[in-house]
Amino acid sequence: MKRIRTIAAILVIIGAGAAAFAALRSAPNPVSSTYFLMDTVLTITTTGSNATSINEHLYSLALGVDDMTSYYKAGSETSKVNAAAGKGAVPVSPAYAELLKTAVAVEAIDHGKTFDIAISPVSSLWGFTTKNFRVPSASEISTALLYSGSDELAVTASTAQLRDARARIDLGGIAKGYSLDVMEAYLRTVKPQPRQVVVDFGGNLLLYSGGTKTDWKIGIQDPRGPGIIGYVVSGDAFVATSGDYERYFESNGKRYCHIIDPSSGYPAQLNQSVTLITKLQPMRGAFGDALGKSFFCSTADRQRTLFDAVQSQGVTGAVIVDATGKRTTLGPIALVPEAAP
Amino acid sequence: MKKSDRITGVVLLAAIALVLGAWLVVHRTRGTVAVIRVNGAVVATVDLKQREPQTLHLQGMLGPMVIVADGKGSIRVTESTCPDQICVHTAPAHSPGDQIICVPNRMVLTIDGAGGKVDAVAH
Repeated sequence: MKRIRTIAAILVIIGAGAAAFAALRSAPNPVSSTYFLMDTVLTITTTGSNATSINEHLYSLALGVDDMTSYYKAGSETSKVNAAAGKGAVPVSPAYAELLKTAVAVEAIDHGKTFDIAISPVSSLWGFTTKNFRVPSASEISTALLYSGSDELAVTASTAQLRDARARIDLGGIAKGYSLDVMEAYLRTVKPQPRQVVVDFGGNLLLYSGGTKTDWKIGIQDPRGPGIIGYVVSGDAFVATSGDYERYFESNGKRYCHIIDPSSGYPAQLNQSVTLITKLQPMRGAFGDALGKSFFCSTADRQRTLFDAVQSQGVTGAVIVDATGKRTTLGPIALVPEAAP
Repeated sequence: MKKSDRITGVVLLAAIALVLGAWLVVHRTRGTVAVIRVNGAVVATVDLKQREPQTLHLQGMLGPMVIVADGKGSIRVTESTCPDQICVHTAPAHSPGDQIICVPNRMVLTIDGAGGKVDAVAH
């Protein structure tokens, strides 16, 4: 009798396990969509009702940001401002003016020494706009630096102006993060709310759960190898990463990455990767994207000062791998090392 | 030890083995298949458990690409006709969620499966 009871109990346990397993499998499947945009890939993964249509709508929002900010599209507001360089102020949309002001606000933190949307004439010399990569001469760089930089840019609530006819702006360093801002604002209005949405836009992440998930595990790519160096845990957030390991070219065995240090006109060399985590607050996606470049062009000492300056502005943490491979975290986050697979 | 205890023990062990076995099967099959898409269409799937190295020659939207699975669970792009070579610079993929992307060729390689240890990778 006792034996039968025990066997029955075991069968119940197996049954419960199987039921739990089945329940786990029938949870709503995430719907993942991949799009090509802004010279990179946008991957959106939504779990919840209407996932496919949410993905499509988020893509259309990103497309709208690209239409507005693209350096290459003739009809974009960036192209209009660039075409009018040296000729006077051009009218811009309120959204575009706000984005420019966010860029200028990041520049102001470090007086344009580490992030500058108007450095684009120098980036062009290196071939990062055309992909005809080359190492320019020192005199080419110093000449281009004379008319590169935000001193050339004047922004009001409805106009923008580049003073020098050779000056150009390129919002490539902030447009992906800004797209995440626009997506996040839309997601807040969706009814019913999706269970969770992960947007990966060329390495910039939006982690959205309407505040219900507090333990997102954010893997940090190993800048010099396969896999991740570990992960950090966060609630809903924007996550922006600047790295030297995917977009670069080599010449005579030397690596030249795509992030130009605006103070020198040369590719930044102090760090391998910088990841910044910002709160889901207005324009923090754009802010974190741009600010990541500032950190990327800064020394460790300067990074600590910068972090103290921006902690009150929605920045919750930073993970930094410097040029020697040394890892540092700033803010109340911990990098949990990843055991070898 | 009574005979009934022995039978109970055997049944218990069998139950544990069954659950463990099922769990292992489910988890082992994850994260071992690389899916390669060009312009949204699947052009190849590679079983990364294969012990033999495999070389794939495929046609991207721009031109030919070469993708190599090393026979040890990793896969990478070794050659591409694209101007920026971002796909060739990208570290080999081996875990669920890993991606290698070539924008000019409209090529996306992903490791399938939900067995990843993290929700997303900042890169």
